[in-house]
Amino acid sequence: MFACTGKILRVNLTNQQVTTINTEDYKEWIGGHGLGAAIFFDLVKDKTISAFDPQNVLVITPGLFSGTLVPAACRTEMVGIQAQSYPYEWFTRSNVGGRFANMLKYAGYDGIILQGAADKPTWINIVEGDVELKDAVNLWGLDTYEAQKVIFKEVMGGKGFGNWINTKGRRQTTQRPAVLAIGPAGENKSRVATIQTDAGNAFGQGGFGGVWGAKKLKAISVLGTGSVEVADAKALMEARLWAERNYGPDFDNPRIHEWQEYITSHFGGHPGRQWAPFDRQKRPSGCYGCHLNCKPRTSTGLANDMVCTAAGYYRNWDLAKHGRFTEISGKAASLAQRLGINTFELQVELPYLKALYDKRILGPGRKIDTDLPVDKMGEAEFVEDLLHKIAYRKEIGDDLAEGLPRAAERWGRVDEDLKTGILPAMFWGYPAHYDARTEAYWGYSTIVSGRDINCHDFNVAAYWMPTLDIAAGKTPLVSAEEVAKWIGEIGPYYDSEMLNFATDNIYSVHMARTTAWVLYYSRFWKQSCGLCDNAFADFVNPYGPNNKGLTPEGELRFYKAVTGENLSFEDSMEIGRKIFNLDKAIWTLQGRHRDMEKFPEYVYSVDTTGISRVLGEPPSYYMPTKENGKWGYRNVVPRHLDKNKVEDWKTLFYEQEGWDPKTGWQTRVTLEALGLKNIANELERMGKLP
Amino acid sequence: MAEVNKEVPLSKGYLLVDTKKCTGCCSCMLACSLVHEGKSGFSLSRIQILDDAFGSFPTDVEIAVCQQCDNPECYLECPLKDEALCIDEKTGVRYVNEDQCNGCELCIEACPFSPSRIIFDPDRNIAIKCDLCQSTPYWDSQGKQACIEVCPVNAIKFTTVKPVGYGGYRVNLRGEGWAKLGLPID
Repeated sequence: MFACTGKILRVNLTNQQVTTINTEDYKEWIGGHGLGAAIFFDLVKDKTISAFDPQNVLVITPGLFSGTLVPAACRTEMVGIQAQSYPYEWFTRSNVGGRFANMLKYAGYDGIILQGAADKPTWINIVEGDVELKDAVNLWGLDTYEAQKVIFKEVMGGKGFGNWINTKGRRQTTQRPAVLAIGPAGENKSRVATIQTDAGNAFGQGGFGGVWGAKKLKAISVLGTGSVEVADAKALMEARLWAERNYGPDFDNPRIHEWQEYITSHFGGHPGRQWAPFDRQKRPSGCYGCHLNCKPRTSTGLANDMVCTAAGYYRNWDLAKHGRFTEISGKAASLAQRLGINTFELQVELPYLKALYDKRILGPGRKIDTDLPVDKMGEAEFVEDLLHKIAYRKEIGDDLAEGLPRAAERWGRVDEDLKTGILPAMFWGYPAHYDARTEAYWGYSTIVSGRDINCHDFNVAAYWMPTLDIAAGKTPLVSAEEVAKWIGEIGPYYDSEMLNFATDNIYSVHMARTTAWVLYYSRFWKQSCGLCDNAFADFVNPYGPNNKGLTPEGELRFYKAVTGENLSFEDSMEIGRKIFNLDKAIWTLQGRHRDMEKFPEYVYSVDTTGISRVLGEPPSYYMPTKENGKWGYRNVVPRHLDKNKVEDWKTLFYEQEGWDPKTGWQTRVTLEALGLKNIANELERMGKLP
Repeated sequence: MAEVNKEVPLSKGYLLVDTKKCTGCCSCMLACSLVHEGKSGFSLSRIQILDDAFGSFPTDVEIAVCQQCDNPECYLECPLKDEALCIDEKTGVRYVNEDQCNGCELCIEACPFSPSRIIFDPDRNIAIKCDLCQSTPYWDSQGKQACIEVCPVNAIKFTTVKPVGYGGYRVNLRGEGWAKLGLPID
């Protein structure tokens, strides 16, 4: 198998046993998510267990392309039962970039299976295939940065950084080990705890940091000097140069557009200068093998390698307080990474706490009694206090460490606040992201899976590009009709109406296809092959010929070069469908039923109003719509979803997937057609076949 | 220390780098390894990037690239000089004839830079080094260098003019476009 090492490491933390399994046994599942989910399915017999149960198995798997020269392909996937989702702990996935995927393969493994729980703090040291479970008493209590640095020193034999170090015999590297580590939030089993690697990369969603804490696993370090072989090295080099030259960003002659300041998520994206505005970004920084280099470096090291909410969750509070961006933004960003707290949660947590404070519900001596200095939001004092309270479960932090919906439940507010929407936990308790009321597929694909999908495939072309260009008084790069036409040229549905976000179309079979497309594409190309969501899919690209992106031609060229196999795009989407059906079976075995797949009340009753680019401007959310036969970018807000129509849409979706519309469960016919007879048998055994 | 051999011809090619422009993505390393060895890894790359995510700009990234020295101590110390460590008659490039190298590592020890620009391949028991992509079995280089071609930000440049001193290899390749992205060009 090309791009694979052939072995997957299996670590039983309970009895400290280390074994391996053959990757070949799971070849049909590609790598990354598919591989991890298939292993999880086989090893976890009772899928109804809690995230914190020692029997919960976490599988860490680099994508198939990771370690090769495929651009933006260094992602590592982790699957298992999550701690974050609400009210149910669904099986889910999390994903991280940086250096870990490459280094794990170079150290000799296609994945790591974590089983059981240690009886004392432990870390795992992997060097050139050798594995050692080590006492982590000296690391427990350290933040993620401190823990990584202690491990660097131990693994590198105190030789520092900047020279060759011997790893084993005469093998040498100049690279540091790649370390995954939890901070105090994970140690204290927070449901919003992350697993960090380097300064700004983390397994953010899923609360897997807390699961590691329950397993008393502090860190995993990998270092190796091996290589990854591909089927056709020449073809891979040519494909890389073809993609970079024809679709990649030109840093010496950039094509500046309004939206490139805010979003990458396509192959021609730029590093956003706003990620570290307190210092002006000094260097764009890239994960291993990336052509985009979306992350910032600063002159202080604060907010290094952090993008999106990781970099910016405190920025606007800082601005509001001080009238400019100060270093407090950077300190807040780095502190969250050090303590191992999910910044996407914080992004929504701050306005929620403020709203409760303004309503005189939260504060000293109030119903939610806390000494948190809410009046000092924007200052370092507030954010440091909040983050330490969460990480160490002090005072109100003990509630917030459970995640916002569970905190609100403790406070007796969850029903009311999900009804009014002041607690915008839009899907499975996850913070609102792109809105189900505007980008319907985003919401749909989240409620039919297990977490905020965080897949920007259509989001850039259908929302960011038109909305920000129009709000700035500019003409979008490509017309709505043209983009829809391009989408219609891509399989497996060949349906341009998939991009029609008019109100009467968001409950249609077309949106069921959009939803399935995102799920299948992501499961295969991004989560199993390892491509980064910040670069793929690529539909509209200012560097592409006629502004057209490289999807699907690019993906297929890379796949052929790496594996030697000819794959059609339809084939790839069918494998994505198979992987998604494997996930679906796990959710069903956990107790999922169609009645559970719904949005909180506010999504059905409260209008979303979109964004204001500039304060005082009316909010807008421009998307492609087709009205009276004519395509155009139109403002789709204010809008909320119709509950009955969403239920009708679910029926359409289940039927499209070959599932039973009454229960939402898979049918034997569908599963057997996908080659998943064993899964059908297991569902039947558990009484979960319709 | 080897004596200076004034008869050693100068290389007709050199790599210049901008460490303030490098993003630390290490694509150059993956490409170098791929075009020379047919597989991607860091320890087979003739160019080495040292990236410290916990550091601060501009000292967070270092590029270690062969200088094609005018006084090449690797060459001069090689016990199989002109058989193992060779100088190309036409281009002056200092390169390793892998068929003849005996893996003694004296060239690695002789390299005056840290980390050594000569790399040891323990699987084949030979030294390997930058040959400016003169011999790339897995890429039709057409006289180009893989690291330069693949670098997404153009932080590496080829020149035929001998740089002066170690500092001469470190150049500013950041121009107007870099500034348009809000990045420093000083």
